[in-house]
Amino acid sequence: MMRDRMSAGPMSPEAIRAAADGLDASLFEPAEFDASSGERGGYSNYSYWRSTARGFIKNRVALVFLALLVTLLVFTFVQPLLPGQKSPTKIHIDPATGMQYRNVEPGAEFWFGTNTIGQDLWSRIWSGTRTSLLIGLIVGAVEMVVGIAFGAVWGYVRRLDGVITELYNVLNNIPTTIVLMLLSYILRPSFRTMVIAMCATGWLGLARFVRNQIVIIRDREYNLASRCLGTPTRRIIFKNLLPYLVSVIMLQTALSIPGTIGWEVFLTYIGLGLPVSIPSLGNLVNEGRQIMMSPELRYQLLFPTVVLSMITISFYVLGNAFSDASDPRNHV
Amino acid sequence: MANGPAILEAKGLVIKFNLRGRTLTAIRGAGLELYEGETLAIVGESGSGKSVLTKSLIGMLDRNGWVDSGSAMFEGRDLARIKEERDWLGVRGKKISMVFQDPMTALNPLLTIGAQIREVFELHHGLSGKKADHAVVEMLERVGIDNPEERRRQYPHEFSGGMRQRVVIAIAVACKPRILICDEPTTALDVTIQAQILGLIKALQRDLAFTTVYITHDLGVVANVADRVAVMYAGRIVETGLAEEVFYDSRHPYTWALLSSLPQLGVKGRPLYSISGTPPNLFNEVRGDAFAPRNPKALKVDFVAEPPEFEVSPTHRASTWLLDPRAPRIEPPPAILAMRAKLGGAKLGGAKLGAVGGAL
Amino acid sequence: MSGERETVLELRDLEVSFRLKGGGVFKAVKGVSFSIYKGETFGLVGESGSGKTSIGRAIVRINDASSGSILYKGREISGRIPKELDREVVRKIQMIFQDPMASLNERAKVDYIVSEGLYNIGVKRSEGERRAMVAKALLEVGLLPEFASRFPHEFSGGQRQRIGIARALIMEPELVVADEPISALDVSIRAQVLNLLSAIQKAKGLTYLFIAHDLSVVRFITDRIAVINKGEIVELAETEELFRNPLHPYTRALISAIPQPDPLVERKKVVMVYDPKCHDCSTDKPAWTDVGGGHFVLANEKEADAYRARIASGP
Repeated sequence: MMRDRMSAGPMSPEAIRAAADGLDASLFEPAEFDASSGERGGYSNYSYWRSTARGFIKNRVALVFLALLVTLLVFTFVQPLLPGQKSPTKIHIDPATGMQYRNVEPGAEFWFGTNTIGQDLWSRIWSGTRTSLLIGLIVGAVEMVVGIAFGAVWGYVRRLDGVITELYNVLNNIPTTIVLMLLSYILRPSFRTMVIAMCATGWLGLARFVRNQIVIIRDREYNLASRCLGTPTRRIIFKNLLPYLVSVIMLQTALSIPGTIGWEVFLTYIGLGLPVSIPSLGNLVNEGRQIMMSPELRYQLLFPTVVLSMITISFYVLGNAFSDASDPRNHV
Repeated sequence: MANGPAILEAKGLVIKFNLRGRTLTAIRGAGLELYEGETLAIVGESGSGKSVLTKSLIGMLDRNGWVDSGSAMFEGRDLARIKEERDWLGVRGKKISMVFQDPMTALNPLLTIGAQIREVFELHHGLSGKKADHAVVEMLERVGIDNPEERRRQYPHEFSGGMRQRVVIAIAVACKPRILICDEPTTALDVTIQAQILGLIKALQRDLAFTTVYITHDLGVVANVADRVAVMYAGRIVETGLAEEVFYDSRHPYTWALLSSLPQLGVKGRPLYSISGTPPNLFNEVRGDAFAPRNPKALKVDFVAEPPEFEVSPTHRASTWLLDPRAPRIEPPPAILAMRAKLGGAKLGGAKLGAVGGAL
Repeated sequence: MSGERETVLELRDLEVSFRLKGGGVFKAVKGVSFSIYKGETFGLVGESGSGKTSIGRAIVRINDASSGSILYKGREISGRIPKELDREVVRKIQMIFQDPMASLNERAKVDYIVSEGLYNIGVKRSEGERRAMVAKALLEVGLLPEFASRFPHEFSGGQRQRIGIARALIMEPELVVADEPISALDVSIRAQVLNLLSAIQKAKGLTYLFIAHDLSVVRFITDRIAVINKGEIVELAETEELFRNPLHPYTRALISAIPQPDPLVERKKVVMVYDPKCHDCSTDKPAWTDVGGGHFVLANEKEADAYRARIASGP
């Protein structure tokens, strides 16, 4: 081609064109065809979980709260192992006077001060947080298992829909407060009673939620396809339905944990909570509330409520951020 | 038809989208003209960019999309440069209006259809009271809805799919637009209803003298309505011409493939001509002719350089290296030859029929 | 002629009803009867709401038949059936769905999706055998075996539809119910899938029930066609016979509306409109009538006579 261009004389239209676009004439030959190359191309590399993670990471506020919550969680469990920590239940006595260190203000010795009977508030708060979080997590886990199991059967097995709906209506119409109070009366106040009482009522909401979600997706074509293939109900629930609901179930559970802690505080307030010997956020808030009227003692209410708020707000923010990030409609 | 002045002229439009942190080039330099009073059909599969192209003309691109370069001149304004929503208000729904595939999304389920049409008359023609009511009834009658006096008080869900689409069309033409864009207007409808709706749009176009743009993947619809056809593939217009030219004398291998893969043109008992693979991923840069990887008869040059537009006739252009004088003579598939034979040796738009790159 | 052929599936007076929210009952399918012979492609054509999908779903037992019967090789398969027969029917009757975007489980890998049915039919297989079967099924539909480890969202519509076909094929069915298998696909992909369905049918001697609204596609692929309108079959004939001599006014309207990719034909096209009032049923009730050569039409006696005369006089 180079020679063409340099040769003297008028150029043919073809030669002019070739010179202008610089394409060699040899290119104008049939190319080899590979059918499978077309098969390989064209697919997107979209991944549900990767997009969810990306959406979550973009949410700065959520990340801050995630860091806060993780720190809080880790610290709660690590705190007793740290050096120089006091027992949460020991009543400290001033060796000079033989009197209890009552209502000592926060300082170098007692970082968060002491309460009305001379217990160290710092260690009580972390011990209480540990108890409350443990209740929250255990109840959350039980609710999740029971709620999902019930909700899935309720939503997918049409024959049982009527029966379970009636059962739900009956159970749901008994006020939760009454159930909680009754159970706490019958059983002796203890950590276990608390967990049993809250598990007994909490799963209903999640079961209903899961049921509604499953009713929405159960007749999608991919589920009909599974039925055509003779897939048993149990596997349809585990392979087809629940994987679609992971994100929303996670959100519900995340929100139920602070909810449970809130109930614990409420039950303690009405006198049906954990015994005073077990520190919990409920007990601490309750103790603080009783002396709320003297301004110089308000720190005893302030510290537990700050921790309680941090936990609650973190779970809410994280739950919502995760729910936004995992919604495929936001995966733009 | 194609002789009048162009009322809309788009040149070198490039439209991009931001998607999951990556940039997708949905339209890779597309140009088209629209002539007063004609019906242009833009044909392409999903992802070819046909909807994006027209949405950009009425400022309805999704928020993550933008016109990167190019122009679209309409009544002395460059539509590609309009940025503000309020600047679109004078164009969209007034000069250019649109009919969508799913009539339910275009209608407000909480308002009677009378109220929805009336709104247009109040907004664009300043009618009110009895006059507006009268105009609504007249418009409903015009789009073939029986009993308009009664039906204008009904809600969208009380209408069947076909009737709803008639209402949507009534709303779209009530503002007396210069251009009506119909995006797959009959895809969701049964074939018998489809024929009626196409007939209705044609009749309205005759009476109200607007220009129509159809966006469709259905070549049967195109054959029915179009004066001119533009074939889109992977964000470019690969072939454009009068309907006769594109159907009976197509030149681009993609147009060939599209036409010959239709069962209507197939021979029973024999495999249909089929296009292997899938359209390219527009996240990646497309090199050469986008259709080449799926074209068994592609030339080497198709993988190297993007083909320019070659003129087949004053009204017919195609972007394929097969039209380059250096290209070898390549025989189109049998179904295309059969289509050519339908017209016999007739001349089309000044161009002699024949195999590309040589005489028949 | 058709009497000697083996009947794979027979519907007798099939009715499918749905309970409406308001408390009423909606009859989607009203007394439909037809037989499908071994090795043929039987087309069921109708517009939206005609009940064609309900029939397909009743055959694969997603919908219950409210009355009438569905016989697979002479054995009743609707309602309660023995477990043994149930297993056999699951294997032998498979379905291909309309929307490839909705019919695959997005959270499962192609490997599981394709072999899902294998887990259910009670044959013990080693993991290696199963994988080999998946690879074979994928190759049969023109996909690469390496796709097994991917999730469905990585594939285009045409590829996804082929995954759906592989999932049905791995069961080694005898009858495949294809419910609008190409109408949700792009034009350039449709031919691919149609060719694939034909090739598989030839290779494996499959029988198809092809449900569609698009007569041009049905004409290309089927041997016989039944036209259904509002839950009733109005006409049934061999494909070319039906197009040569469409008798029922509804069939004629449908055929007249088929879009042709040919501007000269399309511009001259006259679409007929079907008006149900054109039948005079006051004294003479319509019945399912053979007007000759296996061409059935829903007509009363007067109409039937007119139809016979029309066939005799030639198209």
